[in-house]
Amino acid sequence: METNYLLSSKFKRIGLIILIPSLILGLYTLFTDWEPAFFDANVLGIFIEDLSGNNRFIGTVENNILNEILGILVILGGIMVAFSKEKDEDELIAKIRLESLVWAMYLNYGILLLAFLLLYDFSFYWAMVFNMYTMLFFFIIRFNIKIWRLRKSVSYEEQY
Amino acid sequence: MKNSIKVQRAIQNMTQAQLAEKAKVSRQTINAMELGKYVPSTVLSLRLSVIFKISVNELFELEEQDWVK
Repeated sequence: METNYLLSSKFKRIGLIILIPSLILGLYTLFTDWEPAFFDANVLGIFIEDLSGNNRFIGTVENNILNEILGILVILGGIMVAFSKEKDEDELIAKIRLESLVWAMYLNYGILLLAFLLLYDFSFYWAMVFNMYTMLFFFIIRFNIKIWRLRKSVSYEEQY
Repeated sequence: MKNSIKVQRAIQNMTQAQLAEKAKVSRQTINAMELGKYVPSTVLSLRLSVIFKISVNELFELEEQDWVK
């Protein structure tokens, strides 16, 4: 059956090439607060609330754009890895894909619920930052484990 | 739901891979159906019925538990 909401299978590799380096670099900048001056820029923003309490609907903001760039690359790469067709995409894989997506959503919101109950202030902020990305990762991990097991189970089966 | 895919495949002397190619699905899907782990869509069921030249009702059979809500 034709699915029109998935990317062509070649995007999986492109996605991995984008995702892995930007994820490593992203985690590094997150943990070390690395913000090289090269990425300082005045950028367009909306709904701006600066530290002195001035609110503007639209304007320019001075910002280090490295984390924005890496965040965007992680999401785009992650989406390509998650939602590219498998080479042998068919209805069974579509079912596993759907199950994995629901499972990832439960897990992601389960963790957010725990964070609501147990984490406060900056700890909660960090949980939220990670929660934005973990949905994709939970899906990718669970889906690929299921597919890998499925293929492995078949390779043990008799041919006739 | 029970099915006789494996039997039909044996009658027609077809491997899982050959059936998979004809039915336009992967080998693991054929395998999962034969093991009763996956219930195929109507389209795939009809394709199998065309490939085996038997009716869908001969290929698939409802079980008691299929009536449980």
